Amino acid sequence: MARRVAVVAGGHSKFGKRYDATMRELCAEAYKPIYDEGISQDKIDATVLSYAASQFTGQGAGSALIADYIGLQDKPHLRVESACTTGTASLRAAWGMVAAGLYDVMLVLGVEQMNRVSSATATEYMSQAGDMRWEYPFGISFPAFYALMASRYMHEYNMTHDTLAKIAVKSHHYGAQNPKAHLPKEVSFEEANNAIPICRPLNLYDCSLITDGAAAVVIAAEDRVKEFTDRPMWIKGIGAGASEMKIQDRTSLTSIPGAKRASKAAYEMAGLGPEDMQMAQVHDCFTIAELIAYEDCGFVEPGKGPEFVDNKENYITGRMPVNCDGGLKSKGHPLGATGVSMTYEVMKQMRGEAENASRQIKDVKHGFVHNVGQSGQFVNCFIFERGWS
Amino acid sequence: MVLMTEEKELYLGYASDKAMTPFMQKFLEALDGEKLMMSKCTSCGTEFLPPRQHCQKCLSECELQELTETEAKLHSYVIVDFAPESLSSKAPYVVAIGEFPSGKRLTAHITNLMGMPEVGMSLKLGYEHIDAKKLTYKWLV
Repeated sequence: MARRVAVVAGGHSKFGKRYDATMRELCAEAYKPIYDEGISQDKIDATVLSYAASQFTGQGAGSALIADYIGLQDKPHLRVESACTTGTASLRAAWGMVAAGLYDVMLVLGVEQMNRVSSATATEYMSQAGDMRWEYPFGISFPAFYALMASRYMHEYNMTHDTLAKIAVKSHHYGAQNPKAHLPKEVSFEEANNAIPICRPLNLYDCSLITDGAAAVVIAAEDRVKEFTDRPMWIKGIGAGASEMKIQDRTSLTSIPGAKRASKAAYEMAGLGPEDMQMAQVHDCFTIAELIAYEDCGFVEPGKGPEFVDNKENYITGRMPVNCDGGLKSKGHPLGATGVSMTYEVMKQMRGEAENASRQIKDVKHGFVHNVGQSGQFVNCFIFERGWS
Repeated sequence: MVLMTEEKELYLGYASDKAMTPFMQKFLEALDGEKLMMSKCTSCGTEFLPPRQHCQKCLSECELQELTETEAKLHSYVIVDFAPESLSSKAPYVVAIGEFPSGKRLTAHITNLMGMPEVGMSLKLGYEHIDAKKLTYKWLV
């Protein structure tokens, strides 16, 4: 029987265009609050570094560099990579090692430094996560994959861009209240609906940001948890899924099959359903991705996402508050840090420690995380449970 | 005396993956003659478009066969305004997934649109020699 595992601490750098730092300094910034809480290097058995795209920095052997920089040079470390799900894939890997008894206490550290290259170069690198033989030759950028989903969704469900603009408005509303966010500013519906096109039907405010940043969490085995906190956040459910590599091969473009599989597996492992969640962090790399996530994670039936948006069910006052930290859209999307940042946000919300009361969700007992890689080739879902009353 | 035959160096698309194989070279030589090849598994008969050298189901070798379908419907599209660096001079361009009557799909540019693309519109398979080495299949309306 696997041991229970809890998240016992977390840290988070400021997200943004961080020309004052490279990945090593960002990682130190994310680990420092954890160190200050008393989890010094000697208490950590091993580290998983979540670092998605070394072409942005040219740095090989990233986990060795980071472990050394933050004083963990004599502890085992490894790097995990699975595109934008790297963060939760790292957490999943670490959970497995702790649950199996290999280690008791592990640091999961996610980072990405993306702004030392131009936006066009960053777009080029991310397009290379498509099929290099059959998709890359046609210039299908990362937003283009999601625009293909948006066009099809609009056709099948008669959705207009208004729905996507409303999601962007919501994300920026909460991002404006998050001091860690990359772009903490409110955006009006008109601005979100009429911004410059990036990959039509998606415009600038439909797209997440190219962000530098780091986030970290420490997980511990159940018999060690009390050494670190009296407020553990238990990892209650984990589900992973995958989808076809080429987007043209998907049976449906209005759903990500791997996400449906991942969420179902997470609910089954936890013995819970979407109705038991008080909040969700979903992978809104694009507004259409957030909309599809509502449906893939079971918050609403297929095709009912726009109604959910119109009724503001995704706000703090709604049925399922989603991305009340600004999400990838406003908080930012440093690839390797994102899944860890989502986990950190659930922990902060559960503890009642959102930086502004205006974005604090009340009484979170269970939180859901949905983290997607590329256009759905990888998906991890997590269910976290509050371990105190 | 051994005569060396010179293979024509060919690449697919506007920003090509240069990692070539004999299988892909055959595909491109056929494309050079305006024939789009799919592949068929020599063991279980499963067909693939675009072609694969190995069957996704049983991993047996596949052989190239000419696709006989030329007309399709637009399944989905994107107008790429902000392109990856390698295609930035070409933007904006339209990428479409077309679906043939058999259900096979193909992703390519639409190059002769005068208005906005629409899901469900008719597409016809076309070919283009981009330059001396690069060539592609494409969609026409």
